[in-house]
Amino acid sequence: MAGHAVEHDYHLIPPSPWPFLSGVACLIWGLGMVVFFAGLVDRDPANPNAMMEFFLASGLDTVKGVEGASGGWFILLIGCLFASYVMFGWWRDVARESAAGDHTPVVDIGLRYGMIMFIMQEAMFFVGWFWMFFELGLFHEVRAGWNPDILENAAAYAGSMAPGVTSVDPWHLPLINTLILLLSGTTVTWAHHALIHNDRKGAKWGLFLTVALGVLFTLVQAYEYTELFHMREGGDHPWIGNDAYGSAFFMATGFHGLHVLIGTIFLLVCWARLMKGGLRSDKHFGLEAAAWYWHFVDVVWLFLFAFVYVIFATGGGVH
Amino acid sequence: MVSIYGDDAHDHDDGKPGFWARWFYSTNHKDIGTLYLIFGIISGLIGGYLSFMMRMELGEPGIQVFDSYHTYNVFVSMHGLIMIFFMVMPALIGGFGNWFVPIMIGAPDMAFPRMNNLSFWLLPVALICLMISFFVPGSAAGNGFGGGWVMYPPLSTSGSPGPAFDFIIIGLLAAGFSSIFGAINFITTILNMRAPGMTMHKMPLFAWGVLVTAFLLLLALPVLAAALFMLFTDRIDGGTGFFNPAMGGDPEMFQHLFWFFGHPEVYIMILPAFGIVSHVISTFSKKPIFGYLGMAYAMVAIGVVGFVVWAHHMYTVGMDVNLKAYFLAATLVIAVPTGVKIFSWLATMWGGSITMTLPMLWANAFIFLFVVGGVTGVVLANAGVDAALHDTYYVVAHFHYVLSMGAVFGIFTGFYYWFGKMFGVMYNKFWGAVHFWLFFVGVNMVFFPQHFLGMQGMPRRYVDYPVEFSLYNQISTYGAYVTLAGVAAFFVMLIWSLIIKRVPADDNYWGEGATTLEWTLPSPPPYHQFNTLPRISDDDGH
Amino acid sequence: MRFKRSLISGSIALFAVSGQAFAAKPTDGSIGFQEAATPVMEQLVHFHNVWLMTIITAITLFVMVLMAYILFRFNHKRNPVPSKTSHNTLIEVVWTIVPVLILLVMVVPSMKLLYFQDVIPESDMTIKVTGNTWNWEYAYPEYEDKVESFVSNVLEEADAKAAGKPYLLGTDAPLVVPVDTTVKVLVTSANNLHSFAMPAFGIKMDAVPGRINETWFKVTKEGTYFGQCSELCGERHAFMPIEIEVVSKTKFDQWVNNGGAFPTQLSEVKGGGVSAAPK
Ligand code: HEA
Ligand code: HEA
Ligand code: CUA
Ligand SMILES: [Cu+2]
Repeated sequence: MAGHAVEHDYHLIPPSPWPFLSGVACLIWGLGMVVFFAGLVDRDPANPNAMMEFFLASGLDTVKGVEGASGGWFILLIGCLFASYVMFGWWRDVARESAAGDHTPVVDIGLRYGMIMFIMQEAMFFVGWFWMFFELGLFHEVRAGWNPDILENAAAYAGSMAPGVTSVDPWHLPLINTLILLLSGTTVTWAHHALIHNDRKGAKWGLFLTVALGVLFTLVQAYEYTELFHMREGGDHPWIGNDAYGSAFFMATGFHGLHVLIGTIFLLVCWARLMKGGLRSDKHFGLEAAAWYWHFVDVVWLFLFAFVYVIFATGGGVH
Repeated sequence: MVSIYGDDAHDHDDGKPGFWARWFYSTNHKDIGTLYLIFGIISGLIGGYLSFMMRMELGEPGIQVFDSYHTYNVFVSMHGLIMIFFMVMPALIGGFGNWFVPIMIGAPDMAFPRMNNLSFWLLPVALICLMISFFVPGSAAGNGFGGGWVMYPPLSTSGSPGPAFDFIIIGLLAAGFSSIFGAINFITTILNMRAPGMTMHKMPLFAWGVLVTAFLLLLALPVLAAALFMLFTDRIDGGTGFFNPAMGGDPEMFQHLFWFFGHPEVYIMILPAFGIVSHVISTFSKKPIFGYLGMAYAMVAIGVVGFVVWAHHMYTVGMDVNLKAYFLAATLVIAVPTGVKIFSWLATMWGGSITMTLPMLWANAFIFLFVVGGVTGVVLANAGVDAALHDTYYVVAHFHYVLSMGAVFGIFTGFYYWFGKMFGVMYNKFWGAVHFWLFFVGVNMVFFPQHFLGMQGMPRRYVDYPVEFSLYNQISTYGAYVTLAGVAAFFVMLIWSLIIKRVPADDNYWGEGATTLEWTLPSPPPYHQFNTLPRISDDDGH
Repeated sequence: MRFKRSLISGSIALFAVSGQAFAAKPTDGSIGFQEAATPVMEQLVHFHNVWLMTIITAITLFVMVLMAYILFRFNHKRNPVPSKTSHNTLIEVVWTIVPVLILLVMVVPSMKLLYFQDVIPESDMTIKVTGNTWNWEYAYPEYEDKVESFVSNVLEEADAKAAGKPYLLGTDAPLVVPVDTTVKVLVTSANNLHSFAMPAFGIKMDAVPGRINETWFKVTKEGTYFGQCSELCGERHAFMPIEIEVVSKTKFDQWVNNGGAFPTQLSEVKGGGVSAAPK
């Protein structure tokens, strides 16, 4: 069998440095995460400028306005940059291979399976966060202690998800964001159909609009977060560190925001490839994958909107 | 930096790349499989070391080995994590899965060879994080994280403020993503790259096992990732309060999230072993598998039901009684498809022409010991009885019977079965047999008496115990010495067979009983197999 | 040698406490449950020993014997030509249905036990148990004005010996409850998880901060009972045993009226604090 000419359509890939380098990037990034959020060495405010401490001591201290050394961000930054470099190199190789015709029909099907599985995986990730909401919203009170007088915080605990918190008014910015995302879902479909019909100009515009809407969504979300940040002190608006509802609210919407960001970048890359003449009308799985991903992000938002903003929301609105 | 894109994929010959490119930049499923196996062996040694230290400590009442109670807890936690995430999973899924799934379904490689290598390299990264965690502050009591492999808050949040646990979170996230990518790869490979004529219903059972496992990984691990993120942000000052009752959170929620992952995880560790054992039983009985479809769909059933039984680990947290009743009933259901597997193996042997080779010995020991571990699982599933047995050594005995005997015996079954195929030389029969018998006697001696300890009420994760528990702990510790000798014999076998006396292996050294595609290839297989895809004819069925 | 020594020391320890009416604690070398002291545990032991053990032993032996027979009968020397049978619908149905039936038989008493154990009957008194790192705190809400809540610490080895109690099981302040009384137990925790477990009573209930769990027991035999914390709670998880003294109702009244102390034999009530640091 050895030495036979290859007679199948699968894509055998020569050795590649990217996976190994991804591992290295992951290690640096992970180290940065720990150092930034937890600090690796005991913090010594008396000696804030020692070299080791600058790199290894606390990270959040600066964010919280506490005096002390900072520098965890430095490792985190290196990790992120390194990871970006690796991703760029890796996907550049993939794009080149695609251009070189390595993505035969069977390989193309494989990529589709891969993307579907990836999105399933992402969906389960959000199941984890939604589970938290359903627990807080539906079962929490039931499962709380029977004898609230015995334990001081049992009352607050039994008062379900967010004692005294007025949540975000869903019919204000969140509704606008819902519309933005729904609209972007249509523009990306437009882009896809335009490309299929070899209307590259339409495709470019569709993609551009989608990216712009994605950015707009992120900006609106960021604006809303800043407002909540300014109102967090009283404790009667959701904030990440105020109560479990705030925690679940910010982590779920935050991770959704992160996925919007990833999706936007994904679409942006497709747009750039399109502008450079890449992506053929009959073969553009990169764009399709980006569109699938975008729809997925959209659906997650609809769930967030329905449950987190509308159904489980407590009290009046903020805005 | 480096771009190897230049050398075209289509006209390389069988020439292997240079050392660095071959082992660090690999895109070859067999090389990556070998890396996984080496990694699994190293982790097995680390996890084994931790367990032997624990057993030495528990040899008699009092404090013998550890300088602090905390360190014992650290050893227990790391032992559990390392054995599960870094020994069993890499060996069974990464190692054998990579080596033999593509070959068995007649594919030249995995669907995403580069991502395959990413899955591997995330593991050393993860293990490094876990190792760092040993040496950085965990809690006021000392270095390392001592909250158990299940990492329940508040012990893992406010109870372990130091960075040790943050490193574990990062490490497990890395290991988790490794497995998720691996799962995507296996699913795509199996669904998309089967050779012409290889329908799903003709696919070897090991591939079925890995397919179901991959789905479990894909659906369970992200939930663990979310739970780990919650722990991570809960641990930050001014961070979240998911599991903090003072903020309206609930520590019990973590347990739900964890076991929603954790219970499928235990089937993740056993399903590939089921697959391996099926092939070995069939090969050495010279008979096709009995009830092939039942076997395949039993694994699917185990996988599906495995997702709805998680809270049987939580009978004592104060759940509603009706909920307990549901989880009781659901858990019992799993005994049925598992029974189908056991009986089908026996029926495969029935009427066969059985040769008792070493892999066959391991496989039979697997079946028997797994039944022992399985039926104690059924005892634990009865919520009423679990009130007496939960968090006692009975549970430790149960899960070591299914893990340290089930999964690990499955690993060794596969290892001896495919040894010649992977390395091109035959294993040494004598040292292999010594390994088996020492190991078999050893682990039974370690874990059988632990049932009695549990019945008498000895709790888990105890560094010291009342003198009333001495006898069985002593036997258990002696058993660990025997097991240690068994592990040593394994390494003698390795050195003997791979270095001292190399006996080349034939293409199909097991003869007519071995019918899957790997036996049509030379031992070891060429760097790239199936340049011409094999064709599976209609009458090759089961 | 060591084996013998532990046997001897085990039986000495057994002697030391057997002065009291009845004591449930682990016995070295025993292979079953501790002796039941409550109806729940009696039913639990019965269900386990009679139902579960029979079923799982039978299944295990069946597999073992069948396997041994197959390996003997169908060895390649005895049976050089393998059959080619790989299907038999009837037998496949049988080995699916029979386990289902076995499980149905098992699930009925199992559910009975579960509901008996878990549904709390009308109770005569309540005690509140709080897990601390690392000791237990007991309170008697109904007798609040007479018995202050107190903390129960593990006895150090020497103290245990002096008190004639088993080391790592004995405490400086046992929980005292009356016999033949339905006691509701409220379990909670001040910080980490703990688990309030008493093997002879068949109870084990996690102590979770922020929530109050309930369980119950009704002890039928006077005596001293020992249990241990059963949920990993950190460094000294192995050093927070649970000791329950079950006394007659009159004796219990005396104890209450005496402010939580027996008139004659005094169990000293100590405050919190940590004993015995690791060597
Ligand atoms: C490979 C890993 C593995 C496997 C396969 C299993 C299999 C099973 N496990 Fe186990 N389990 C663990 C690993 C595993 N477990 C671990 C690691 C823990 C502890 C985690 C921790 O707390 O740290 C645990 C804990 C655990 C608990 C919680 C105990 C406690 O903490 O209180 C329970 C309770 O229900 C349980 C039940 C079962 C059952 C019912 C099965 C079933 O799948 C078994 C089915 C098999 C059989 C029944 C035998 C063969 C069948 C027949 C011969 C047919 C006839 C049989 C009958 C009719 C009964 N397991
Ligand atoms: C797969 C999982 C696995 C394996 C194999 C083992 C193996 C062993 N375990 Fe453990 N154990 C756990 C998983 C495992 N364990 C878990 C999850 C816990 C709970 C942790 C917690 O409470 O948080 C635990 C807890 C635990 C305890 C309870 C501690 C306590 O509660 O205080 C004890 C005590 O005796 C123990 C002992 C042992 C011993 C003596 C072995 C021996 O059998 C070890 C012998 C050595 C090996 C089996 C390694 C051999 C393998 C290789 C060398 C690799 C080969 C690879 C290839 C061929 C590719 N383990
Ligand atoms: Cu308290 Cu363990
Ligand atoms: Cu389970």
